Amino acid sequence: MPIFKTPFNGYAVKFSPFYENRLAVATAQNFGILGNGRVHVLDLTPTPTPTAPISEVCAFDTADAVYDCTWSEDNDNLLVTAIGDGSVKLWDLALPPTSNPIRSLHEHSREVHSVDWNPVRKDSFLTSSWDDTIKLWTVDRPASVRTFKEHAYCVYSSVWNPRHGDVFASASGDCTVRIWDVRDPASTMIIPAHDFEILSCDWNKYDDCIIATASVDKSIKVWDVRNFRIPITVLNGHNYAVRRVKFSPHRESLIVSCSYDMTVCLWDYRVEDALVGRYDHHTEFAVGVDMSVLVEGLFASTGWDELVYVWQHGNDPRAP
Amino acid sequence: MGSESTIPSTVSDAKPQNPESELVKPMEGNGQDPNGETLKETSSKSVFVNSEPIREEQVQNAVKFLSHPKVSGSPVIYRRSFLEKKGLTKEEIDEAFRRVPDTPPTVTSAQPTMKNQDGQLNSSANMHTQTQSPQPAAAAPTAVVSTVATLSKYQFHWSHAFLAVGLLAASGAGSALFVKHAVVPRLKSWIRKVVSEEEEEEGDKKSNSKPSLNEEAAAAAKAAAAAAADVAKVSQEMLNSKSEEKKYFEAFRSLLDVQVEEMRSMCNAIRKLEATRDIALSSNKQTDEHTQTLSWNVRPPSAPASMEPSVTPHPKSYMEMTARVHRGEKPPGIREINDLPPNPNQLLSNPPLAPRVKPWEVVSQAQNNSSYGLQSHTNDEGSNSKEQDSWPTSQLNGYGSEPWWQQKNMRITEIESENEPQTTSNGAFGVTNQQVPQRVWVPPRAPPVAMPEAAAAIRQPKPLIPRGQTSNDQISAGPSDDIDDELQRVTKVSESGGQLEINNESPSLESNEIREQEISNERN
Repeated sequence: MPIFKTPFNGYAVKFSPFYENRLAVATAQNFGILGNGRVHVLDLTPTPTPTAPISEVCAFDTADAVYDCTWSEDNDNLLVTAIGDGSVKLWDLALPPTSNPIRSLHEHSREVHSVDWNPVRKDSFLTSSWDDTIKLWTVDRPASVRTFKEHAYCVYSSVWNPRHGDVFASASGDCTVRIWDVRDPASTMIIPAHDFEILSCDWNKYDDCIIATASVDKSIKVWDVRNFRIPITVLNGHNYAVRRVKFSPHRESLIVSCSYDMTVCLWDYRVEDALVGRYDHHTEFAVGVDMSVLVEGLFASTGWDELVYVWQHGNDPRAP
Repeated sequence: MGSESTIPSTVSDAKPQNPESELVKPMEGNGQDPNGETLKETSSKSVFVNSEPIREEQVQNAVKFLSHPKVSGSPVIYRRSFLEKKGLTKEEIDEAFRRVPDTPPTVTSAQPTMKNQDGQLNSSANMHTQTQSPQPAAAAPTAVVSTVATLSKYQFHWSHAFLAVGLLAASGAGSALFVKHAVVPRLKSWIRKVVSEEEEEEGDKKSNSKPSLNEEAAAAAKAAAAAAADVAKVSQEMLNSKSEEKKYFEAFRSLLDVQVEEMRSMCNAIRKLEATRDIALSSNKQTDEHTQTLSWNVRPPSAPASMEPSVTPHPKSYMEMTARVHRGEKPPGIREINDLPPNPNQLLSNPPLAPRVKPWEVVSQAQNNSSYGLQSHTNDEGSNSKEQDSWPTSQLNGYGSEPWWQQKNMRITEIESENEPQTTSNGAFGVTNQQVPQRVWVPPRAPPVAMPEAAAAIRQPKPLIPRGQTSNDQISAGPSDDIDDELQRVTKVSESGGQLEINNESPSLESNEIREQEISNERN
């Protein structure tokens, strides 16, 4: 399985929804404390015996850390990055690097921690920031379309519902998850999901009322929004804060998570013994993980050890 | 809440129904109770909204909380977020705020009020600027006004000055009077006294002049000697004390030096301990503790790393980095990068590829029976994959070697057999690379009918069998005629490539649908 070494500490990976072998990696210098950032676009070389490593298509430098990246759903060359200086930058891979970035949207007053593209409407994206707000943007407008300000602390992640193009969920350091509908002025649901900060959330792709939340309290809880008082299940197994959680695009009940305990874990929340896989290939905090939508069973992860691993389910990520 | 049943017509999905009502179909696919969902739908509320009634107990607890004197001093946003954390819904929180008197209820209303205040401030600021701007325009009258204003200012000034001068004069006069009345007579009496004393002294001095002189001289000499002795003693004592002080000072210095040395040695010991502790920590990564949090991250304490249980061992270089930044040093290697867009109005590159269908969308589309649309999608995807310069996986399929990222280990079948395998395609996983996952059977696109005669020949034997079952000669004659007509129509379709209506049914080159038509014809 190929490995890519980034010069900076990794923060996020994202597979392209257009090309099976393409992914973007968000990295930050000096662990994201203070320094530059870089977003890499990598291609997996197709040789069946991958002695050749992953190749880099291009990379873009930023003045501040890149905390998250996402691909556009309707333009195969458009990449959006969340920057630590509060700006959101758009990059076009078809244009030469001297013409990039094509947009720099600076409205957040603090670090932008996550960005997510709408998979249904395909024309808008959300950014969530440590200034407690979430902003909705479209590519054609220079200013945000809406600002959602209700959280009392940093918003770490906001994720669109995979079936309803107007609904999204946000996870915040104020220990709540909020469900929003862009047509309504205020949030439609507040779920006090954990007693500690919630770092990530994701929707079940096959059951649009199921949400998973990952928190500093080392657990992942799976909720049904129709009955949000009690979680469907609590997934314990990580030894430190869970940084990111994602539902599989191919298997209905499969969840992948990465944590500060340097492992990437697979869960099946419908099963009694939920932990179905564990990969401990990272030697520092595992901070970013993604599952390919186009290729079933393909994972990618990155961490503060400056390595990006791409592997197929069941294989050892470190195997050559 | 939003009117989910009246979705705005700007929704440009390919889905024919409301996004909300689609809940029903996916729910069915997942084994959920469809009736419950339809009930929810008929209540005309989105499923993403609180549908629980207001819990009175929670509201009362909230009212007690809000009525507490300490709580009423805190900002509203903190009160709301506390109640939200406790699990109250928005309606319950609003009800509690309504019940507690004189508290500003909602953030949203606070925001408009803030906005109004901002608006008012802005409008007043605008007013100021507006009043200032016409002033230079209207020169004369406003100048007069301004001079009058300044004059009034000066008059003010003058009155103050007059008052001060008056006070000073009064005080001066009063003091003069006082001096005149009180001080002068005293002076006069004192002068008289002195004069009378002098006269007395003159009388005494004349009688006692000589002997007093000698005595006085002797006494003076003695006094001088005594004074000198005293001075000598005092100076001696001073010298002594100085020397003592010097001694004390030196002793003090030596003690300080000793202390400094001890502190240095302690510092070294601490550093050594830290080093050993880091080594110990790096070897014991998985200690599990449940201590409370301490925020000590540099990136001001919003970084999630800061709010963990403090035991999470951060990388050593991370600690050094945070210490460095704490001290204010800039870490090395940071470049000045200009990452602003060179052309903020840069147009996006064109044309973009058509978006690909997601695996979960395929499931719902198949359930919606929009098979024709799905086929057009797959057709697009097939052409897309050929257009791409990157790896065309569907083409690889025929060559026998798949890209490594699609090969799965044999171990996977074991693992997946433990979990209820959702699909039956696990074994054949790596082989088929259709964009559409295996879960849904998509009717493959039939090739266009190239040889209509062959197609007819294939089809003809089939009607013979049911024909034999029916004993009606007329019916037996009918289908054959229909088949011939249909054959002609099929040839026309294949030649023209267009769409024709066959018996008011949507035309398709699907062989199965043609068979369906045949069956329906046979029934007729």
